[in-house]
Amino acid sequence: MKSPALRLFSLAYLVFLYAPIVLLPVFAFNDGTIIAFPLKGFTLQWFDDLFTNVNLGHALKNSLIIAVSTAILATTLGIFAARASTRFDFPGKAGIMGLIMLPLVLPEIIVAVSLLIVLLGIGIPLSIFTVILGHVLAATPYAIAVLNAAFSSLDRSLEEAAYDLGEGKISTFRLITLPLVLPGIVSSCLMAFTISLDEFIIAFFLAGEQTTLPTYIFSQLRFPKQIPMIMALGTCLVAASIVLLTIAEYFRRRGIARTGGKDTGGFL
Amino acid sequence: MIPKTTASAAATRPTMIEFREVQKYYGDYHALRGITATIRAGEFFSLLGPSGCGKTTLLRTIAGFEDISSGAVLIDGKDMSNVPANRRPTNMVFQSYAIFPHLSVAENVGFGLRRDPRSKAEKAKAVEEALEMVGLKGYGPRAAHAMSGGQRQRVALARALILKPKVLLLDEPMSALDKKIREQMQVELMKLQRELGITFVLVTHDQEEALIMSDRIAVMFDGEIAQLADPETLYRHPDSRRVADFIGVMNFLPATVTGESGAGVSLDVAGLGRLDVAPDQVAATRTGGEPAVGFRPETLTLLYEGQPAAAHEAAGIIDEVVYYGDMTYYDVRLDGVDKPVRISMRNVFGRPVLDVGTRTRIGWAPGALVLFR
Repeated sequence: MKSPALRLFSLAYLVFLYAPIVLLPVFAFNDGTIIAFPLKGFTLQWFDDLFTNVNLGHALKNSLIIAVSTAILATTLGIFAARASTRFDFPGKAGIMGLIMLPLVLPEIIVAVSLLIVLLGIGIPLSIFTVILGHVLAATPYAIAVLNAAFSSLDRSLEEAAYDLGEGKISTFRLITLPLVLPGIVSSCLMAFTISLDEFIIAFFLAGEQTTLPTYIFSQLRFPKQIPMIMALGTCLVAASIVLLTIAEYFRRRGIARTGGKDTGGFL
Repeated sequence: MIPKTTASAAATRPTMIEFREVQKYYGDYHALRGITATIRAGEFFSLLGPSGCGKTTLLRTIAGFEDISSGAVLIDGKDMSNVPANRRPTNMVFQSYAIFPHLSVAENVGFGLRRDPRSKAEKAKAVEEALEMVGLKGYGPRAAHAMSGGQRQRVALARALILKPKVLLLDEPMSALDKKIREQMQVELMKLQRELGITFVLVTHDQEEALIMSDRIAVMFDGEIAQLADPETLYRHPDSRRVADFIGVMNFLPATVTGESGAGVSLDVAGLGRLDVAPDQVAATRTGGEPAVGFRPETLTLLYEGQPAAAHEAAGIIDEVVYYGDMTYYDVRLDGVDKPVRISMRNVFGRPVLDVGTRTRIGWAPGALVLFR
């Protein structure tokens, strides 16, 4: 940070990154439908619109159902895969892990279109259930990446010690493995939840008649009058994210302090 | 020094662990090559060898963490082939100690009592007794991860012993401790073993540790037991040159066999000349290599100027002097031999430390030689 040019670049970078987000609450409370300075006056009308909008409420409910289901399913699958890949050697392991991780780099639109064709082909009606399927596919690689790190930092002899002291395989997992990888599981749930909540393409293709928060927001952008309400929605989402991440970080640090591990920074 | 069990007392003890032709393959790798041995009840037994010799694998076959490819492992007369690790009468102290970091010291120690039908108060008492036994009285409520290395090992020990196993398995338990604490733990482990009378099986690569602590030692190389004996026999009568080399320091001088009879072997040894060795001085394992005699550094003596002649003497020049405080090690090049031999001398009061290049006489005892061939 010695060079003034570097300092300027860093500053510009941060402004570019966060200024739009700072503008969200500014216009969410602005008494005017046009998103431009100068500001007109203070109002809570957009928030009132937000909370009385039935369609939005419905989309939010859908999104939450999808995101929570995705978080649980992707993390559960991730636990199995991460444990298998860190504890056992089996033929074709590298290939199988590669295939599981592939959606990480596949263009989402390709995944969405091919899923749509397959689902229609076998006659499964489009619903939030099909969106959950698509989101689990997209979120599982991230869950595995986070959980792999948690499982591989676990000393194998801890499980052997519990087994040696008379516990069975399942109770060993419950008493030793699970508590020690819990920070990883929380991280994984949170990541899958976030990925699902703001995912647009798969939801757009697979939701059928239903709307999710991102597809609803997209549909409303056509109406300039609705934009301040979207700003208010964005403000709520940012506030919720900050609260959620603070809670997650608190649990992560507490977990590290309790087990005496070294803080490697987590994913935050 | 803590007196070990006398050899005669140990020999009458019943068998606790029996290996019958134990073979272990990892794919193509032959990790255990037909191990047959017995470990007696109440014995402090060590598996000693360099890394990769199979000692840890053999220990893990006792614990049940490693399936064997063929053969059998018996504990207290029962075949263990179909007994999983959590049902075996063995408990283990792991190299990393494997202390559960999210539990307290007392929860760690009491972990094995979870399925015990006793009342909570009785279990708490058992935990407190186990902690007292390893010198950690009152440490119960502490967080396990906050303990030091030596304390963790004690926690691991208490946790393994609380189940009163027939056999305690120790996988290089002292390798992570610094020297002072290690020596202290060695003494405490020996005391504990004698008080409890439990069979201890220790895996170590540290020959000194094995000699200090064990009643008997199995020296392993390449998945086989090279020699199984008590420490003194291993040290004084190694079966092979490889065992002799691995345990302590041994000097080797090339020899030629000039005659052999029931009374012993006649040799011509480089630097020492013609001599006879008794039959019990001949190493049991014949490797077919060049014959050589071996002797420990302390079986030779430097003869200072003016000292009377010894019965067996040789002459040479001091090549290197290593001063240890209580001891001095001299590398002496004997006349007619290229490779120097190592001689250790205790620095008793008034005895000078000689300089490099000094010409000296050494005295040696024919009874201390071992013939390898």
